[in-house]
Amino acid sequence: MNEETKTQINAKYERELQRGERFWPDSIYKDAIVALGIFLLLVMLATFVGVHDSPKADPSDTSYIPRPEWYFLFLFKFLALYGQIPILGKIEWIATVLIPGVAIGILTLLPFIDKSPHRYYAKRALPLAIMFIMVLGIVLLTMLADYPTVAHDGSGLPGLIQAVAGLVVPAIVYIAFTVMAYTLRERAVRAITVTAALGGALMVAFTVLAMVAFPLPAQETAEVPATLSDQISAGQDLYSIHCVECHGDDGMVEIISGVAGLEGKVVSIINSRDVLYTVNDASMAEIISYGRPDSGMPPLGRAYNPEGLTRAEIDYIVLFMRYTWDDRFEAPYIPPLYPPLAEGEVPTYSVHIQPIVKRYCISCHRPGKDSNAYYMDTYANILNSGDNAGKNVIAGDMNSYLIQTIQHTEILDADGRVLVGVMPPTSQLKPDIIDVFIRWVMGGMPE
Amino acid sequence: MRALWQKLYGWLDERIGFDDFYKNLLDRPEPRGNWWNTLGSASLFLFIMQVLTGIFLTVYYNPSPDHAYESILYIMNDVQFGWLVRGIHHWGASLMVLVVFIHMLRTFVTASYKYPRELTWLVGIGLLLITIGMGFTGYLLPWHQMAYWATTVGTAIAGSVPFLGDFILQALRGGPDLSALTLQRFYAAHIWILPLLLGGLIGFHLFLIIKHGESHWPDKED
Ligand code: HEC
Ligand code: HEC
Ligand code: HEM
Repeated sequence: MNEETKTQINAKYERELQRGERFWPDSIYKDAIVALGIFLLLVMLATFVGVHDSPKADPSDTSYIPRPEWYFLFLFKFLALYGQIPILGKIEWIATVLIPGVAIGILTLLPFIDKSPHRYYAKRALPLAIMFIMVLGIVLLTMLADYPTVAHDGSGLPGLIQAVAGLVVPAIVYIAFTVMAYTLRERAVRAITVTAALGGALMVAFTVLAMVAFPLPAQETAEVPATLSDQISAGQDLYSIHCVECHGDDGMVEIISGVAGLEGKVVSIINSRDVLYTVNDASMAEIISYGRPDSGMPPLGRAYNPEGLTRAEIDYIVLFMRYTWDDRFEAPYIPPLYPPLAEGEVPTYSVHIQPIVKRYCISCHRPGKDSNAYYMDTYANILNSGDNAGKNVIAGDMNSYLIQTIQHTEILDADGRVLVGVMPPTSQLKPDIIDVFIRWVMGGMPE
Repeated sequence: MRALWQKLYGWLDERIGFDDFYKNLLDRPEPRGNWWNTLGSASLFLFIMQVLTGIFLTVYYNPSPDHAYESILYIMNDVQFGWLVRGIHHWGASLMVLVVFIHMLRTFVTASYKYPRELTWLVGIGLLLITIGMGFTGYLLPWHQMAYWATTVGTAIAGSVPFLGDFILQALRGGPDLSALTLQRFYAAHIWILPLLLGGLIGFHLFLIIKHGESHWPDKED
């Protein structure tokens, strides 16, 4: 840039200053309003949206699908789409290093690449058009981030459409820009503007197509327990599913019964001081994770068992054990398992029975467990499954097997042999819980 | 009372020179303003908010794999207003990346990077990259699943650089895998290295802006 242009630019700036404003108070006033707005926005976000939690890091859980901060999502998507390109897609560093490196390099050196002194937008069609396509691409890739590139039936069509929207069209548009800038020179403005508009429209169109034709798979969002009492409850539920069959709902079992292969096995009472005082949290987590293979406790952690518990889940179980059995810990308030019943009120499945069953029965009564194929995982299954389906729960009948067995009456067959033992086999339910079951069955088992 | 205050002010003014401050910093002429021009100071405001809330968080945060997650839970559940401060820091980080990026876009669109503000732009790119670096290092600190695995993948990307990849990967992680060392490193970068760099560069950025003045909104003549 020659001195003459510089003088011109400075002179123009002086003129602008003449008819301008003062930094204080004119500009500061606007800045302050924006700062206040941002502050309020942050307080609202912190209060009403909060911070989305995820369970504690678990290096053994390699199946976890990583999700970066949202402003990196477009990069992840870009890499995924790039990886689909035949041959070139295998050379990873082109997408991870070369392309981002070139983009950042150009952006950095921009003042030295774009040397024209003009600032008015109509005289800067090329740089504006390049940036427009770039930013649009980033936005669209971010929006596509969660959409899988492979359809249910294994076809790669979704990935193809996404790649057209996010890679192919931008690449073609950029090539067209370059050609136009060199061949049309001064007259390129119109052509570039039209190309940018068309290209942008195509990118949006293909993105919409990709999102409409292959909608997001329904996600089950697992709630992460955040407070101590939530974690303890979560631990109790997990304990009920994974430990009760051997150690009993209160950890008091001394001799295992009703578990194939371990019948009559003597185990330590795990709610005793003997165990709780000698085993610290880390070893407790390790016992749960690795089990006691020699004495018959299976490994329950993900590190040794692909379907097992995650680190966080194991920690919740340990928390539950500490806060319920260890007299050195004082339990925080934990909401009751089910809302107390009023005089004459009939309990329902969803409010009362489900949480009880989840805690006291489901560990043995679910698919994969040998308990007369009586699955208590859903409302329908509780009513209709099992070898003695039809006799387990009968509306208004105190002779329902379920009602008898939980009251410590065994069901005997015609020859006087035990058909169904008492339930749960190792310990007796508390009277108030038995009462809930009875009222539910007598009241016709509402859902 | 009033007299005392005036005396104190006069005494300080004599040594420090508030008037010079006022003339040089505040009472400057500016081209006619525009709401888009507030984005730079909005970035600055967000940076200051992040520093203040961040300092508060370091009081309770513990950068070790065994305690990081629990210390964040402690901040959220047991520290008075811990949830608010962490919430502001969390959302402020996202917003800062967004605002800095849009600020970059606005200086691009108005071509403010041209003479005599080339260096302002150059420093600005440094600010953008460091801001993103702050986001990347900060994300790992709560040591939750999402962060752990996103950082595993993120550092693996850095490891794909030809020839140097392995070295970069080891330097970032402090070993072949994410470990306590990685967390320490990211923590040091997040609370010392990057903020100091960012603060210094912001100072330089602001110096350049005061020196050259805010660019005017371009019109047909430009
Ligand atoms: C299939 C039956 C079974 C299941 C399920 C089971 N355990 Fe065990 N557990 C055992 C056996 C058998 C032992 C070893 C007996 C012994 O060493 O006293 C044992 C030992 C233990 C011990 C060690 C006691 C000590 O002093 O060494 C703890 C603690 C324990 N289990 C906790 C759990 C927890 C928590 C769960 C649920 C996540 C669980 N167990 C699930 C059978 C089981
Ligand atoms: C420790 C494992 C275990 C637990 C916990 C348990 N059951 Fe059972 N249940 C069994 C087994 C095993 C059978 C098969 C019959 C037998 O061996 O007694 C069975 C059978 C039954 C049957 C008869 C099913 C049929 O169709 O033959 C009923 C009803 C039943 N259980 C109810 C319950 C209820 C209600 C609970 C919760 C309060 C419960 N059980 C908890 C192990 C368990
Ligand atoms: C932490 C991040 C940043 C802070 C705190 C910051 C702060 C500021 C402030 C306060 C201004 C003056 C007001 C305004 O024009 O909005 C400004 C102007 C400017 N910034 Fe930044 N900025 C940051 C990042 C960037 C980035 C990423 C770029 C571009 C790569 C950039 C380039 C510029 C330019 C060229 C100007 C001069 C604008 C003009 O004179 O019209 N800044 N910045």
